Amino acid sequence: MDESLNAWFTREILVHESALMRYLLRSWFRREEIHDLRQEIYIRVYEAAAKARPAMPKSFMFTTARHLMTDRLRRSRVVSIEAVGDLDALNVLIDEISPERRLSARQELRHLSDAFDHLPDRCREVVWLRRVEELSQKQVAARMGISEKTVEKQIAKGMRLIAEHFYGGGNTHAGRRHASANAEHGDGHGQQQPD
Amino acid sequence: MASSSQIELLASAWLARRDGSGWSIHDQLQLDTWLLESTAHRVAYLRLDAAWRQSDRLKALGAGVPAGTVPERAAWGLTPSPELRDAPIDDGAHGRTGARARHAAPHRPASSHLTPKASGKPRRKLLSYGLGGCAALVLAFLAVGWRHYSAVDQASYRTAIGDLQDISLPDGSVITLSSDSRILVTLSRNERHIDLQQGEAFFKVAKDSSRPFVVSAGDRRAIAVGTRYDVRRDAGHLRVIVTQGIVRLESDNGAGGRRQPTALLPAGSIALASDAGVVVSSGPVQQAEELLSWRSGFIAFHDTPLSTAVAEFNRYNQRRIVIGDPSIGAMRVGGHFRWSNVDSFVRLLELGFPVRAERDKDAIVLKRR
Repeated sequence: MDESLNAWFTREILVHESALMRYLLRSWFRREEIHDLRQEIYIRVYEAAAKARPAMPKSFMFTTARHLMTDRLRRSRVVSIEAVGDLDALNVLIDEISPERRLSARQELRHLSDAFDHLPDRCREVVWLRRVEELSQKQVAARMGISEKTVEKQIAKGMRLIAEHFYGGGNTHAGRRHASANAEHGDGHGQQQPD
Repeated sequence: MASSSQIELLASAWLARRDGSGWSIHDQLQLDTWLLESTAHRVAYLRLDAAWRQSDRLKALGAGVPAGTVPERAAWGLTPSPELRDAPIDDGAHGRTGARARHAAPHRPASSHLTPKASGKPRRKLLSYGLGGCAALVLAFLAVGWRHYSAVDQASYRTAIGDLQDISLPDGSVITLSSDSRILVTLSRNERHIDLQQGEAFFKVAKDSSRPFVVSAGDRRAIAVGTRYDVRRDAGHLRVIVTQGIVRLESDNGAGGRRQPTALLPAGSIALASDAGVVVSSGPVQQAEELLSWRSGFIAFHDTPLSTAVAEFNRYNQRRIVIGDPSIGAMRVGGHFRWSNVDSFVRLLELGFPVRAERDKDAIVLKRR
C-alpha cells in the first residue's frame, strides 16, 4: 500500500469528517444512507488521490460529495421531497458550512475525552486499561475477568465509536434523532428510535 | 458488495485482532489481502486505524490516576458537554479537582460499577509490578534459551555459469537456483531465511504459516508463507516475480534513513526495486511465467533491445556475446531461444539483421554489417 497516500488521506481528508457529516446531514434526509455515502466519498477521493493529489483536498472532498449526491438524485426514479434534504445546501459555499477546524492540542484532547466518555461502561473500561494503562489484551481480560475474545470485541467497538465521535464530531447522534423524527412523518422509514 | 457498516465492522475486527497477542505474519498477509481487495476496505481501515492511534493520546488523562482505576466520566477538567464543544476554552481556571467536583455529581450513576475497584488498587498496583517483574525475568530467560534453541540448519549453494540446480529443503520447499547464482539457506524454528547473494532463484514454498519464508537481497526482503515466486538480483536493482499467492516486499531504511514503502505483490506481479523505489506491473500469470522459462532451458524476448537480450544470454554462458557497435544495441528482437545455444541465436541475428559476428574462443563480437 502507498504509505504516503494513506498519510495524506488521514491528514487532509479524515480531519474534515465532522464538517462532511454536517454537510451530508443537511443535504441528505435519508439518514440510513449517510454511512454509505460517506464511504463512497472516501473511496472516490482516495482513488482520485492515488492518481494525483488534489491541490485543495477539502474542497475536493466536498465537490466529490456534491457530485455523488446529485448523481444519486438523478439515478433514483422517484424523488420525494422528504427523501432529499435541503437541496440548497448542495450549493452552499463550502467554507460557509464548514469553518476550518484545526483544533489545538488541548481542544483535540477534550474532543477525544468526550468521545471516550460516550463509550458504554464496559467498552470504556477496556479502552482505558488497554490504551492508558497499556495492558495487553490478555492482561485486560484477566483484570476484568472476561475472555480475551470479549476484550477484542470491545476494542473493535471502542475503535468504531471513537472514530465516529472523534472524526464525525459526535453530531451524528443529534442528526439521527432529528432524522427519525423526520422519517416518521416523511417517507415512512421510521426504523430508528430516538435515543 | 457488503454494506459500508459491514465493512466497518470487519475493519475494526482486523484492527482489534492486530492489537491483540498472537498476530503472525500469516495474519498480516491475510489482512493485506483483504486490504487489496477493495478501496472500500482500505478507507474504512485507515479511518479506524487513525482514530485508534489518536486514542493513544488518552494517556494524557491517565496522569495522576492510580493504576487499575478507571476515572468517572467527565472527570478531566476539560469542558465535557457536547453543546459547549466549539466554545472558546479558558485555559486558566480548570484545576483538576475543581472540575471533578463540578462534574462528578450528574455523571455518577453511569460509572457506579467501577467504584469498588478503586478501593483495592494500591495492592493491585504492587501486584502488577510484581507480575511485571516476573514477566520480564521469564522473557530474559526465554531470550537466552532462544539463542540456543533456535540454533539452525545452515547451508550455502552456488551454481557455475550455465548450470541450474534444484534444491529441496527439509520443510518441503524447492528452490531452483539459476546460472551463476549463490544463496545461503538458514532454517530456524521461526523463520526460513534465504539470503540471495548473487543471481536468481525460483522458490516453490511449502506452506507453513508459523515460519515465514524470507528471501533477502541486500536491504530488501520478499516474504511469503506458502507461494511461488522468483527473486533476481542485478547490479542496480532487484526483480521479484510472483506466480502464485502473495509476496510482501519490504526494505530496511535506505541510505538517507528513508524507509521505502512496503509493496504487496499478488500473483502475476513483476516488481522492480531500485534506489528510486519499487515499480510493479501486474498482468496475467502466464506473462510472469514466461520470464521464468529459464528453468526449462529457455529465454523469451518480445520486442526486446538487443543489448538486453545479449545480457540475458551472457547470464547463462561462459562464452560471451559482446556488442561491438553501440548502434546495433537498440535493435529489437523477439522469440524463444534455448539459452545454452548461443551459436544459433547469433546465426539468426546474422540472417535477419544487418549484423556480422566475429567468433572467438571466449567471445562473439557483433558488428554492423
